[in-house]
Amino acid sequence: MRIIVINPEGELYNETVDYVVVSSKSLGEFAILDNHAPLISSIDVGYIKLVKDQEIIFTVVINGALEHRENVINVIAQEAHVGLDKDNAMKHLEDVRKERLEENRQRTRDFLKAERELKKNLKEAQASNR
Amino acid sequence: MPSSMRDIKKRINATAKTSQITKAMHMVSAAKLKKAERAIKSFRPLTKRLSNVLSRVLSSDHDLSHPILEAREINKTVYVIISSDRGLAGPYNNSVFKKAEKYINEHHQSNDEFEVAALGFKAFSFAKRRGYRLIHDEVIQVRDDVQFIDFQQISDTFIKGYLSGKFDEIIVFYNHFINTLQHEVKQTTLIPLEHNPLLDYDSNDGSTYTPIYYYEPNAHKVLQDLLPMYVVNLFYGMILEAKATEHASRMTAMKSATDNAEELISDLQLKYNRARQDAITTELTDIIGGAEALD
Repeated sequence: MRIIVINPEGELYNETVDYVVVSSKSLGEFAILDNHAPLISSIDVGYIKLVKDQEIIFTVVINGALEHRENVINVIAQEAHVGLDKDNAMKHLEDVRKERLEENRQRTRDFLKAERELKKNLKEAQASNR
Repeated sequence: MPSSMRDIKKRINATAKTSQITKAMHMVSAAKLKKAERAIKSFRPLTKRLSNVLSRVLSSDHDLSHPILEAREINKTVYVIISSDRGLAGPYNNSVFKKAEKYINEHHQSNDEFEVAALGFKAFSFAKRRGYRLIHDEVIQVRDDVQFIDFQQISDTFIKGYLSGKFDEIIVFYNHFINTLQHEVKQTTLIPLEHNPLLDYDSNDGSTYTPIYYYEPNAHKVLQDLLPMYVVNLFYGMILEAKATEHASRMTAMKSATDNAEELISDLQLKYNRARQDAITTELTDIIGGAEALD
């Protein structure tokens, strides 16, 4: 069966696998094997275990939907990350998110500070003109 | 006239320097526009697939309903204004503000009847200037490298606020990207999704039969999870469009600034040459006059 994972940046993963195990916080676990009936589900926070031969790969997902039909699984994720180990992959995803938010906050502070300084400098420049 | 000559030379130099900056900004914006266009393109499949899945869920059972799909009596509206962080983008920000302000003035008497979500520093200070009540207290940036997570918090506020009945309608004002030279200010109702054409089920997707889906755990729960996701995706798509428009409009603005600078420089150059010729002529007449006096 084929699995396609897409996130806002585009296609993240497109491979053939033997079977997958879907796990999410609110629903628990279930597996999808070949020739499963058409299925639609959602994932709040969880992972998808992809098994091919002896290899196991994890895709961690935050806010996602999953559709299975005719041996093609479409995973639509707001945020996803592929890794060999689910804990590490999840940690990576969370770290990236945290970093980004912190960076945004820092930028806001810097910007406001720069804006204040600009205003002050403008005032001073105008005062010297008069 | 050496002093005026020096003045003209100074102005030429100053204008040339400015035009160098605007030219650089033009090229930077052009590169960023390409990136933004790519971001829109790679985001499109996600929205399309999600709306496909959603429409399948909705078409499976016509009794399914969700507050996001149903309009209700409007007591409080949230207006979302998507702008940029920085200026120098031609009419980009102002056209959005004008449209939003006009709409708000037409529909409301006082500032207590609605709230505003301002995306980008420019919209934030616009809302502050007009005395609008803001739904968030921190500035929300629209960075050049937009990411989904940047707007997670504000979209959560939208959905939670709507579901809890804090407000009954969310209208977004943003610049819709058509192509590099064409964009229009659009006004879209984000929630409720009542008239969204994307949700009209397209049964004609190439397959000969419509499979009957199983839902895990059930259709209602899936809908409950997917609809907010869909709304957030829609919103993110608008931000991506606005971002592309911002770069396009900054590019055009900088291009015309560079052109104007070049025109100004050629004008000044002409004046400079004339002044120099004048000075030479004066000197020549002086010399000739002096030589004649000697004879």
